[in-house]
This record gives sequence, structure tokens and C-alpha cells, in this order.
Amino acid sequence: MPSSPDPLFAGLGQAVRIGTNLLATLMVGGGLGWSIDSYVLPTEPWGLVAGLVLGVIAGIRNAYRTAQRWDHS
Amino acid sequence: MENPLHPFELHTIVPLSLFGLDVSINKAVIMMFLVVGLVTLLLTKARSSGSLIPTKLQSVAELLVEFIRGMIHETMGPDGMRFFPLIATLFLFILFCNLLGLMPGAYTVTSQLVVTGAFALGVYMLSLLVGFKIHGVKFLGILVPSGTPGWLLPLMVPIEIISQLARPVSLSVRLFANMTAGHVILGVLFGLSISGGLLIGWLPFSFTVALYGLEVGIAFIQAYIFTILTCVYMGDAFHLH
Repeated sequence: MPSSPDPLFAGLGQAVRIGTNLLATLMVGGGLGWSIDSYVLPTEPWGLVAGLVLGVIAGIRNAYRTAQRWDHS
Repeated sequence: MENPLHPFELHTIVPLSLFGLDVSINKAVIMMFLVVGLVTLLLTKARSSGSLIPTKLQSVAELLVEFIRGMIHETMGPDGMRFFPLIATLFLFILFCNLLGLMPGAYTVTSQLVVTGAFALGVYMLSLLVGFKIHGVKFLGILVPSGTPGWLLPLMVPIEIISQLARPVSLSVRLFANMTAGHVILGVLFGLSISGGLLIGWLPFSFTVALYGLEVGIAFIQAYIFTILTCVYMGDAFHLH
């Protein structure tokens, strides 16, 4: 995330980003796994489990990547 | 006490139907017209004087242009100036929706998931289109983080797909949830101060005043975050890795 002219603005902006991102990846991962279970493959409930796990990994990875960019900005 | 979710209900004011679609006018639509009208009016007025020594309104408009141009240059580079009209429109529309929604009796358009979701999906689709137009099929390389060993690919690609699909979700949910939560809290506190009477009602009322100030700040920050993330996603489409 690039720095904005106002440091307070930029700091708040970065802080607010991470929380919703964790939630969104969890929702998308779980939703994808659940829809694979219900419509594509007869793998219930393992698609949902795998989707949720992948969602958690994706969310934490995104948070980590966002935090990594702070040093450079 | 009044239901704090009551202000979010929408009722048809002018029933309209176009080609079988329901395009009735309700409070949210009127607010959108108001916002568009106000922004157009302010900006045309700011630009009409066109003097070398800027008027007050003109210098505010110039600051705004510089601010948005700075955002675009940092995330997309000079190429991104092609999208300046889009980014500026998004920022101004969301900012004025948030701010005008804080007026008592007004409706907060951005507290509807339909509105924010349509914005987020549209922006995300546009970034995908731009990416595929610039890079062609190679744009799919966005799903493979640089420096991934081959045996990790079956794990990394689904993770990247999820985090890509989460972008429009988090973009829309963030704006919608922030606006809705803020207004619900304001409504509950104000309801408490009315039902509390003079004896104890001043306490929640002072909280309402303080939170209102915070909400004005949040209106700015959420508009800023929405636009800067739009810029970041567009920038990802411009520059692979």
C-alpha cells in the first residue's frame, strides 16, 4: 500500500484493510468449498473443510503480504 | 425505543417500470440524484472562475485533483492517468454519499450492499479486462506468485484464486459494514438519550456527539480506502508481479 500525503490517513487505511480481508477470504473459501460439495462433487463435507482451510491460509497470507509492504512505503 | 434498523428500510415513492424492470424511485435513488447534482454543481462552480489566483472553492478542487493524481501515480504509474475520470468519480460519489447520509433524515446510499457490491464488482471486472487486454493469456500468471517451486503449485493456485475472488467481497463488505454499523450505533445511542430523559440522557447524548465526529472521519477514510484499493487492483493489472 502506497503512502498517502497524510500519515494518519494512510495508517488508518492500512489498519482497516486487514480485518475485512481475513473475513472475505474465509467467506469466499468456505462458499467455494460448499458449492463444490453441493453441486459438483459428492465429497460432502470435505470440500467445505478444505475450502475453509484454504480460505484461512489465503487470508493470513494476504495480511502478511500487506504488512510486508509497510517497510518499503 | 425506535428500531435502530428502521432508517435502512426503503419504500417506493414513485412507482416506475421500464421494459418490465422495476425502476421505482425511492429515497436512495433521490439521494443519488442529489449527490450527483451537488458534485456537478460544486465542480462546475469551482472551474467557472478559472482565474490564476484561485478562489476558495477552486483551491479545494485543485487540492482534490492533486490528491487523486498522487494516488494514481503511486499505484499505477503515469499510465494510470487514463483512468483518472473513473477514479475521481468513484471517490467523489462515495465521499458525498457517506457525508450527505450523515445528515439527519437523509438516507445513506452506501449502507446498501447492492450499491457497494455493484461498485466493487464493476471495478474488479474492469481490472480483469484491463489485465487481459494488456497481457493476454499471460495475465493468468497473476495466480502464480513469483518464485513458487513447482511442487507447491497445486496448493498455491487455489489459495491465489480465493484471494483474488475475495477482493470484490472485502471491498464491498468493508464500505457497507462500516456505514451500516456507524449509523446503527448512532441510532441506538440517540434513542437511549431520548428514553433516558434529562436525568441520565445527557450521557448517551454526549457519546452521540463524539461518535458523530468519528463518523465524519470514517466517511472520508472509507471513501479513500475504496478508491486506493481500486487503484491498487488496477495497478496489479498493469504490472504483473
